[in-house]
Amino acid sequence: MKSLETDVIVIGGGATGSGVLRDAAMRGYRAILVERVDLGQGTTGRFHGLLHSGGRYVVTDPRSATECAQETAILSKIAADAVEQTGGLFVTTPADDPEYADKFAAACLATDVPVQEIAVAEALRREPRLNPKISRAFAVNDGSVDAWKLIWGNVHSAMEYGAQVLTYHWVTQVLRDGDRVCGVVCRDDVHGGEVRIDADFVINAGGVWAGQIADMAGCPDVQVVPGRGVMIAMNHRLVNTVVNRCDPPGDGDIIVPIHTVCVIGTTDTKVDSPDDLPIPRDEVQQMLDAGEVLVPGFRQSRALHAWAGARPLVKDTRVAADDTRHMSRGMAAFDHLERDGVRGFLTISGGKATTFRLMAQVVVDQMCEQRGDTRPCRTGDEVMPTAREGRNYTVGHRLADREGDRLDDPLICECELVTRSMIEEHLTETPTASFDDIRRQMRLGMGPCQGGFCSMRATGIGHEIGALDAARANDRLRLFLTNRWIGLHTILHGDQVHQTVLDKWIFDGTLDVEHLPQAQEAGQ
Amino acid sequence: MSDVVVVGAGLAGLTAAIRLARAGRAVTLLSAGVGGLQLSQGTVDLLGYTPDRVHHPLDAIDRTADADHAHPYHHLRADGVRHAVEWFAEVLGPGELVGSLQTNVHLPTAVGALRPTALMPPSMAAGDLRDGANVAIIGLRRLKDLYPDLIADNLSRTDLPSGGRVNARGVHVDFVVRDGESDSSGLVTARALDDSSTLLRFADAMARELTDDDHVVGVPAVLGLVDTQTVWSTLQTRLGRPVFEIPLPPPSVPGIRMNASLTAHAKAAGVRFVMGGRVVGATREGTRITGLQTDTAGRLRLTRSPWIVFAPGGFESGAIDVDSYGAIREPVFDLPLAHVPSDPVVSADYWADHPLFRTGVAVDHSMRPVDPTGAAVLDNLVVAGGLIAGATRWREKSGEGIAIATAVRAADTIIEDGS
Repeated sequence: MKSLETDVIVIGGGATGSGVLRDAAMRGYRAILVERVDLGQGTTGRFHGLLHSGGRYVVTDPRSATECAQETAILSKIAADAVEQTGGLFVTTPADDPEYADKFAAACLATDVPVQEIAVAEALRREPRLNPKISRAFAVNDGSVDAWKLIWGNVHSAMEYGAQVLTYHWVTQVLRDGDRVCGVVCRDDVHGGEVRIDADFVINAGGVWAGQIADMAGCPDVQVVPGRGVMIAMNHRLVNTVVNRCDPPGDGDIIVPIHTVCVIGTTDTKVDSPDDLPIPRDEVQQMLDAGEVLVPGFRQSRALHAWAGARPLVKDTRVAADDTRHMSRGMAAFDHLERDGVRGFLTISGGKATTFRLMAQVVVDQMCEQRGDTRPCRTGDEVMPTAREGRNYTVGHRLADREGDRLDDPLICECELVTRSMIEEHLTETPTASFDDIRRQMRLGMGPCQGGFCSMRATGIGHEIGALDAARANDRLRLFLTNRWIGLHTILHGDQVHQTVLDKWIFDGTLDVEHLPQAQEAGQ
Repeated sequence: MSDVVVVGAGLAGLTAAIRLARAGRAVTLLSAGVGGLQLSQGTVDLLGYTPDRVHHPLDAIDRTADADHAHPYHHLRADGVRHAVEWFAEVLGPGELVGSLQTNVHLPTAVGALRPTALMPPSMAAGDLRDGANVAIIGLRRLKDLYPDLIADNLSRTDLPSGGRVNARGVHVDFVVRDGESDSSGLVTARALDDSSTLLRFADAMARELTDDDHVVGVPAVLGLVDTQTVWSTLQTRLGRPVFEIPLPPPSVPGIRMNASLTAHAKAAGVRFVMGGRVVGATREGTRITGLQTDTAGRLRLTRSPWIVFAPGGFESGAIDVDSYGAIREPVFDLPLAHVPSDPVVSADYWADHPLFRTGVAVDHSMRPVDPTGAAVLDNLVVAGGLIAGATRWREKSGEGIAIATAVRAADTIIEDGS
């Protein structure tokens, strides 16, 4: 068994885990992150992309609201490349309680969430497709954030401080030495075999899976209930600012413009397993109805893709529900020394992507305290390496890039403007990457045709540069088509039916992908 | 006023228009735009999988016609398909279409699968590979829709339907189509090769990469847009061995050629083309359609004719609507639909046979649309092509066979009507 040694192991490659890795590394600890699949493949990669102004929480959770406002300001600077400063609106639609608006405005003031009421005519000028029957409108500092870019920003920053990241490393054991956690054993799902990592400290940032990990460490009853949310990406930015319903938080109360699409979200249903997240048709219908309330005609627009994510809803049966020290800030930090008598092990879960940096700070502070170190957090002050240009994301950035290289570099994914060298570089560096891993890196196949043209090209390139043999190339292509379908089949209507059938003509018809030789036929 | 209005400029619409015009009818072809044939691979598939690989398509058509009464071939049978496709092949002539209706050939696709088809342009015929052949697959560095190593590796490890295996290798040629352009589409490349000096430069670039051991050469289907026969035979002569084209994803050069050729035949036969005229509705008296409403230049126009061939295509053309509630409808005439699935309309499994894709309009032997009892719902309208219910064409490889045979049958219904 391969073995490694470090100061801190971080389990979980979402926003929180990558934030913890960065924080620990910046404080001078040697740190290794282990993730069972790809970075951002869990909850962080499956939300609508809202960077909260705080407005959503001003009435129901004022403390979270203030934290969101502060963190959004920080992230817009330290992770500028991941953040689009779209601005946001809270609007009172005919379906909303008209009295909520005044409560909302007062609560914004009380929580230091910047807000400005604007005339309905001005709101409609800014967002012409908005329901013209809105009665109030408030401008806030909502933005949208590319969660994957945020994670890689954290990771690149952490790596500059010497941290390591091991993806597709599935933790099978949390090692104990008496009352102390002393490391983990992982299964390497790409190269095979096991890896043992010894460390003084393990931080569990497993999100919805945090309870399972805590169990492995002998710290039972960390209850994380997955709350499934369904979201739908629409083909266009029907709105260019985040549009929220000015009403208490509810299902389908927001449309977030992000990249070339906009996303309606979301439902909230408690489910048994975070690994089994169906996209129920009734919830899809519920989201389409909700879209219609904010943007009339929403149902006639083209739905591209639906997905489900699982929020981590943390319950700790061992502390009282009003124990804010343990359950504060919409996040849950478990000190297992105090709770279970186990040293060297902390759990952080709950929370939201917007406040991941603060969550990391809280848990790394706890670690420092337990170790008796005084090392202040610096993550809010230093810009991530990926954001050093200091410019926020704008939707036209790839178009601008392609103006520079369009004659030299073939365009492989026309929808998302992905070039051949982008794919080649990634596959050369990470030959084991699946096309979904590449998708998370560069949005391959996420546009209107949902992989109709680019996925065959990516297959050919991966094979041509030697990253994949033919059998694996065929499997990757089939897997990518299968995975894209998960998000398509529940929302298949309107123009997306035409597109899907055109794609079927290409893959099943012209290319006959179904009858490519199977893997087992190879080598004869 | 025309004798017949054909709605749709795809393979079915063009075929019906030519058939009717050659029978002396005055034909107007109305279409929203250029037809879907330009997206096709340029072969004439009759039946390729049932779901096992089909070797003798006419036999398999009769078996399908017997076993599945809802399949479009039920009304046509092998005789109907042969009658129609033989006529169609005569229209294009052996310079544009070769092969046999009796026996399928299995041609390499742009990922290296062996795809069954009946008729093909002569420039693809040498793709019917034999045991022991050494095959060189040529890729162009600046063309992103064909990766020769992948095709070669897949071909080399596939058992040929005729038995045995081939030895295939990928060959890369850096052919500059336009100076300074790294991303030349198949269409741009094909257009360039119609120029004889460019073609010779192309042939020489390929010849440098080949060895005496390469028996047969596969190239992307870019061998000229206009005069493929000359481009292809010149290339074969220069390389001194058989050359075959491999169709690319759309826009497909062989599909564009076939579309151009059929359009020219239709015009020569007197068909009047009205493009940009999407048919959005109709006027009717009882069971007769009296006029077609087209949305042209922002206003509705009414076109009258005694007969209508309705060939608007399938789901890919938007000829069948699925709304956001899952309601499925033929939007122009509100024709009764057959095979309408209950919710869910598609399976969660990508590879399943999705019920939605068999949905369409059911027809009788004359290609008149019928209601669930089998009774014709309109007197003077016949349907052809992708709109007809009962087959997942791209999967069973029956698209052209159904389009041509239903179009000929639909046209013959009108011709035989005589009025």
